[in-house]
Amino acid sequence: MEFWDCNSCFGLPSKPSQSPATCETVDDLTAQLDRAGIVRSISWHVAQHDVAPTIGNRMLAEAIRGKDQLLGCWTVLPPQTGEMPVDQLLADMKSHRIVALRAFPVAHRYLLNGATMGPLLDEMVARRIPLLYSTRRLPASYSGQQAWQDLYNLMAECPELTLIVVDHGSWGCDRYFRPLLDLYERVFVDTSMYYIDGGIEDVVARYGPGRIVYGSGLPERYPGGMMMAIGHAQIDDEAKAAIAGGTLRQLIEEVTL
Amino acid sequence: MIADSPLVKAFWEHGRLDECPVIDMHGHMGPWPAIYFPRPEPEQMLVSMDQAGVRRLVFSSHEALFSAATGNDYTARVVRRWPDRFSGLMVINGNYMDIVERDMARFDAMRDAFIGLKFLAAYHNVALDDPRYDKVWAFAAERKLLVTCHTWGHGNMNGPAQVRAVAERFPEVRLSMAHSCYGMWEEAAQLARDFPHVYCDLTAVFECRGALELFCERGISRRMLFGTDLPWFSPLQGIGSVLSADITDDDRRNILHRNAESLLAPLLAAGR
Ligand SMILES: [Zn+2]
Repeated sequence: MEFWDCNSCFGLPSKPSQSPATCETVDDLTAQLDRAGIVRSISWHVAQHDVAPTIGNRMLAEAIRGKDQLLGCWTVLPPQTGEMPVDQLLADMKSHRIVALRAFPVAHRYLLNGATMGPLLDEMVARRIPLLYSTRRLPASYSGQQAWQDLYNLMAECPELTLIVVDHGSWGCDRYFRPLLDLYERVFVDTSMYYIDGGIEDVVARYGPGRIVYGSGLPERYPGGMMMAIGHAQIDDEAKAAIAGGTLRQLIEEVTL
Repeated sequence: MIADSPLVKAFWEHGRLDECPVIDMHGHMGPWPAIYFPRPEPEQMLVSMDQAGVRRLVFSSHEALFSAATGNDYTARVVRRWPDRFSGLMVINGNYMDIVERDMARFDAMRDAFIGLKFLAAYHNVALDDPRYDKVWAFAAERKLLVTCHTWGHGNMNGPAQVRAVAERFPEVRLSMAHSCYGMWEEAAQLARDFPHVYCDLTAVFECRGALELFCERGISRRMLFGTDLPWFSPLQGIGSVLSADITDDDRRNILHRNAESLLAPLLAAGR
């Protein structure tokens, strides 16, 4: 079973999380990935959220250069202000091994919808670039319920988008994410905080193994927690392999830049 | 492979080990309104426990936590059906002291089902050190019961200050800090260092990388208890977190079963 990870980051957050352990540098992160035996990880730099997407994206690109274990995930901004023109973004992604994008619309104060992001969303659909969306990395004033509503609106406008919802939990979010799995083929959820007992088996029984992908949650989470839950879930070996890495690998291979 | 010790390798390969059982010191049971649980019923929880090698679960049912009048009876019924696998905690809700009086009056006759008490102070909005609870703490001290208290880092219901206040007054109680004053790890470790009868329950702590290492570095490896909030969190996730923490196999055994075995032995004996 090979573990491919859709959800890691590094860099010191401006406001520390509740987890005492951090990964200040990219080497700190790869040491943790190696210790856990994770083959590939889609990673981002916390400066993409805390400092500025343009600065953080550059820091990420420099950090992962020459590190085959890591693939990059940049943070997007609306194209209308000229901060991040779509053509330039796509060209730069290709040259820096960036295979996915993240959006933090609440923290970065824009609307993640077709009016704002239409030109980019069209390219993401055409090129099968996944959008990673964290339902946890939100200002305290913004409710989780509203964040899910935002995702429902986004998918209604852009039903072919590849969306990977990450960090959902630790209070089980099945009532939020299952309708999206029902409605849209290319919506996936990660495991980094999907701790709910029997959740993996239950989702696999209803949706098959192809809708859950391993996320380590590093550096905040212990990567082995959900490795054990996947490795010893009451599902067949093919399903375990798909969740551990097979599905994510396929999603990455489908990306055309 | 998530780390490279002999114990980790064996667990990773087999998922469970007869020679290193797991005792889960913090669970619940039954449905709960805000979350869909795939496996909330006792028969389903036993499936998960067997899957992960969990020998025994100490729990308070959701019904007991949120329906003071009826819930403790539900807990007792389940324990009496599977006494080798489940032990109960009687929930104390200070908003209904008449019911608390009723339950204390029948506690001694229910020792086969209950090994201790459970406080959920922040949810019930009655602080751990509220004077209404004085008689309950004295009752638990007299019997040297386990008292599991929901604790969280901030707020004035069940933070480190409230734990310290009751720990000082009632040294005979075996006081387990559920969630280890989540987020205030140093304060929780200090409480365990200051009071030999205070324990750090690791429920939800498993989601915070580095917390287990911090506790072990502070020298409280013999005071850490495995917990999952089952049916909330998969025991496998908790075990895998213990395995991937940068601690020794000795620490891992303390967390997974040794500490709980020492703590439970006299409490289970009292119920026989
Ligand atoms: Zn609990």
